[in-house]
Amino acid sequence: MARYGMVIDTRKCVGCYACRVSCQMQNELPVEESYIKFYEKETGVFPNVKNEIIPVQCQHCEDAPCESVCPTKATYTTKDGIVLVDPDKCIGCKYCMVACHYGARTQDHLTGVVEKCRFCAELVAEGKQPACVSTCISSARIFGDLDDPNSEVSKAIVKLNAQPLRPDLGKAKIYYVR
Amino acid sequence: MVWGTIIAAYLFLAGLSAGAFLTSSYAARKYPEAVTVRIAGRLISPVLMGIGLLLLIVDAEAGLKDPLRFIYLFTNFNSVMTIGTYFISLFMVAAAYIALMELLKKEIMKIAEYVGIVFAVATAIYTGFLIGVIGAVPLWNTAILPILFVVSAFSTGIAGTMLVSAIFDKKVVHHVMSLKKIHLTLLITEVFLIFTMFLITSSTNESAAKSVSMLLTGEYSTLFWLGLVAVGLVVPILIEALELFNSKKLHQSQAGLEVAAAGTQGIAATIITESAVLAGGFILRYLLLAAAVPIIFL
Repeated sequence: MARYGMVIDTRKCVGCYACRVSCQMQNELPVEESYIKFYEKETGVFPNVKNEIIPVQCQHCEDAPCESVCPTKATYTTKDGIVLVDPDKCIGCKYCMVACHYGARTQDHLTGVVEKCRFCAELVAEGKQPACVSTCISSARIFGDLDDPNSEVSKAIVKLNAQPLRPDLGKAKIYYVR
Repeated sequence: MVWGTIIAAYLFLAGLSAGAFLTSSYAARKYPEAVTVRIAGRLISPVLMGIGLLLLIVDAEAGLKDPLRFIYLFTNFNSVMTIGTYFISLFMVAAAYIALMELLKKEIMKIAEYVGIVFAVATAIYTGFLIGVIGAVPLWNTAILPILFVVSAFSTGIAGTMLVSAIFDKKVVHHVMSLKKIHLTLLITEVFLIFTMFLITSSTNESAAKSVSMLLTGEYSTLFWLGLVAVGLVVPILIEALELFNSKKLHQSQAGLEVAAAGTQGIAATIITESAVLAGGFILRYLLLAAAVPIIFL
């Protein structure tokens, strides 16, 4: 049993969208649908300004609001801490979409099922990395077991002082270096 | 807008249906002779709820394509939607049974009406809680929203029942004066609740403030001020108040009642008021869904 999580180092992200494309390929998504969204944020006051590129996807919250609001229990958390959607149970009511703090969910235009980043559960089960991680050209993404203090991801969180986007909003498992 | 016009219509119809049921139950006790009001409320209630549920099914695309999945709606007791599914199911059964008995002119089991009353109130409250518990949307995430929805549900319920009653029986609307008084109170309460909610919530955080300014001065301001405030609230409040004021003079005698029913402000005033309230009820829900600005997570 693991507790999978990720670090995204926004200082290394160049905004090439390769992660998004590889995610779309892995999940067989059409161009207009994606599980990774890109945001830009300006901080500071001129002339001391900073522009960040922040890729956002499902944060795999431990207390996921999408899971608690889902009336059909289509959204569930695996024993490895990955939040998944059972496409055979989802009715497409979109309650999870309004409940998600990160706007991380999208509705499949063909089936009406609401989907999101799955941490590439099938690749992870084979011991591989999620597609967005293995594709990232600048190694801005690190994936692994947060419960293992010796994992690369745990070490990176400590070393880089990575934090969830909004720690006050819940127990997200994607940590950002900003 | 993740939830748009269809969901707004569903929330409106669910509230209206619950309100109509309660109106008919009230009328049945207080005015046993106002049969039209009782029957109108009891008949429109399950029909409107049914239309609302059909809209919901149409909006839930994945379920529409595989309807057996709707069974799962009963499974997650942590979800307000699951709780609401139970409320609506029980309310629907009671309302449909009572409507059927009314059509067949048969005796109605008392227990069915009590169940109906309890779950009508529960359904009205549920529509507010459904969006009220969403922490991601500060405009909705206020304790006052479910109360506003309940008040609006009762108000639209009275309006719907009176509108249908007036079409079939011109005189009856002038019999049920206490309903008009309740209606006026509800409408005034609604104005108070809306502005309380907006003023307080807009000071809680940036997203809520953005939502409120979208409604008061931004892209939805025309619909808000003209549709909701003017048509949905102020016009009905003025007409109802005027009617109640005049009724004191007219309702002393049977002849006065005839005059009231036949006069220019007889059924016309009722039809205008009640239609305006119904329009306002839908616009209120539409606006709250449309102006939903999510929290800022960056």
